[in-house]
Amino acid sequence: MATNKEPERFTISIGPQHPALKEPGSFQFTVDGEIVTKAYVRLGYAHRGIEKAAEQRNWIQDLYLLERVCGICSHIHATAYCLAVEELAHVEAPPRAQAIRVLVAELERIHSHFLWIGVSAHEAGFDTLFMYSWRDRETVMDLLERLTGNRVNYSANVLGGVKCDIDAEQTTAILDGLNFLEERARHYFDVLTNDSMFLQRTRGIAVMSRNQAEVMGAIGPTARASNVARDVRIESPYAAYTQYPIKMALDTRGDLEARFVVRVNELFESFRLIRQILATLPEGELTARMPRRVPAGEVVKRVEAPRGELYYFIKSNGTDKPERLKVRTPTICNMTSVIKLAVGHQLADVPMILAGIDPCFSCNDRTVELTDTDRKTSNIMTWEELRRYGIKFYEARK
Amino acid sequence: MNTILPLLSLAIFPGGLTLLAGGLAYEWADRKLLALFQNRVGPRWFQPLADTVKLLAKEEIIPDRANKFLFTSLPLIALAGGLTAALYVPLAGLRPAYGFSGDLIVTLYLLSLLTLCMGLAGTNTLDRFSMIGATRTLTQVFSYEAPFLLALLIPAVTAGSWQIGEIATYAQSHWLVVLQPVGFVVALVGLMGKLEMTPFDAPEAHTEIAAGALTEYSGRGLAFFRLAKAVELVVGLTLVAAIYLGGVSNPLWFLVKTLALLLTLAGIQALLTRLRIDQTVGLWWRYGTILVLLQWLVLILIRRI
Repeated sequence: MATNKEPERFTISIGPQHPALKEPGSFQFTVDGEIVTKAYVRLGYAHRGIEKAAEQRNWIQDLYLLERVCGICSHIHATAYCLAVEELAHVEAPPRAQAIRVLVAELERIHSHFLWIGVSAHEAGFDTLFMYSWRDRETVMDLLERLTGNRVNYSANVLGGVKCDIDAEQTTAILDGLNFLEERARHYFDVLTNDSMFLQRTRGIAVMSRNQAEVMGAIGPTARASNVARDVRIESPYAAYTQYPIKMALDTRGDLEARFVVRVNELFESFRLIRQILATLPEGELTARMPRRVPAGEVVKRVEAPRGELYYFIKSNGTDKPERLKVRTPTICNMTSVIKLAVGHQLADVPMILAGIDPCFSCNDRTVELTDTDRKTSNIMTWEELRRYGIKFYEARK
Repeated sequence: MNTILPLLSLAIFPGGLTLLAGGLAYEWADRKLLALFQNRVGPRWFQPLADTVKLLAKEEIIPDRANKFLFTSLPLIALAGGLTAALYVPLAGLRPAYGFSGDLIVTLYLLSLLTLCMGLAGTNTLDRFSMIGATRTLTQVFSYEAPFLLALLIPAVTAGSWQIGEIATYAQSHWLVVLQPVGFVVALVGLMGKLEMTPFDAPEAHTEIAAGALTEYSGRGLAFFRLAKAVELVVGLTLVAAIYLGGVSNPLWFLVKTLALLLTLAGIQALLTRLRIDQTVGLWWRYGTILVLLQWLVLILIRRI
């Protein structure tokens, strides 16, 4: 095939449509045999214009819109938004509401990590673990449904508090569910750290040093697996994390195995925290009164989503709608590490490296990069420029 | 009249249609067992047949730059190889339909035809995923083929015949799995490599390279490749059972022994993670080949004494 003088570059594109990707994202891997020599990512296929849409809806409608940024960590988005808006409005949710927020957030973390274990195992070709961990994940999803009425977008939050309360019956159900899940998590920990066939695919693969992790701006469990001690729940505790401190799960090795270890250890920490919250749930109101119009001002809110730090910026102009809202999800911060670490690894390791950061494409697609196919340049356009460009483009087509 | 019987045996029993039906049944059993091990429901009994019928009815899209003749003929050659190989093995506990001295070697090469055809089919279509899949398929052939062949030749030497029928008769009085356990394990695992089952499914690792060598195949070609694989499953299991597990003297024993082997295969598939292609090669040349050579050494020493 290669008849050119220069050795032909053999590029494999994974995505936008590919069985390894559950969401659209485009990756170009130049390979030499099985070894990846160059990697390139292009995101933006699932850009939904949520930030723009949020500017056209009122504060309450935005809550439900933002919950749909991510299908897996929906609660933490709503929590970040609520905490930010409450700060703008100088309202504080009652302690019971804050505790329930944290409880649902930790249940969500359990659900997300179980899901991730399954997805990663599937990428490595270990489908049995995939099936089992997703079966067990049903337990925590049922608990969330019992608590809030929904399995995916729970809508547990309202501005100024939470919607759902926890009674004695639900407490027992949650405790029972946790016992089962903890036993399963122990089993998975055993499998993930002792199964020699699986370790061949994770141990020593995609090692990210602490320095690399810091330079590439990795966050969340991905960074903690490289011994970067950063967790928003500890750095700047929000909601009820001040009363219920957590212990950070860290690992020094930085490879894929370490990421499994860190996430499973986080599961154990979540189990412990939920039990503690259920035992000492403060009594009181569930909601505080919120004004319909939020005073003008700007606020930044950081929370720890299952995948890492989630960042919200909100600007209010004193009306019933936000003036500007900016979301930054953890996946975008970790994407650099995928591209860097893939180089030099085998093609077979690439799906694992990608899954190792627990990517969520539709969450991170906040901007669309415009590439001029004729001139091969890319630039960022303002709204006004884009509009003018569109008008010109369609007039030229007439 | 003399010509009709061989034709019938070729087209209907034990070759041809019966074998295809048997292949689909075994494929279903494999899928169902794997599903049960993985806590899933699994396919219904007619699912492999339904898949085949659907694929046969679908339009076959031939890529522009592919050689059309090769593209359409390779699946047929693969299937024909599997069906022909079946004539020399004691299917369903019956005596092999045909046999001559040295048919063991011919059968093993007919069984390799499927893998070679898949490799060629992959390189023929010029698709990126197909190319990588084909490279992996062919790399894998070079890793498991030698140990697999050696593992099946040990019983031949022990039995003093290179004819499958005669080895099977010899095996009925000698359970070679007890005498040569290493050879048995290598043969069984080699069969998994041949059929690209987990952990040797790197050539069709769908999270990396879509469907591997067969990415561009749809419709008839894919149906034939799948059928060829199903047939090879039955033939391979029969071969290993006949040679190592004390022969297959009647249909009942045949069923019991091949299904026991299939159960083992499904269990291994459920338990293990996919190996990278370099790990596969390493496993076979570092352990598989050495072990089987040791078995040979033991055999030679015993014969000397």
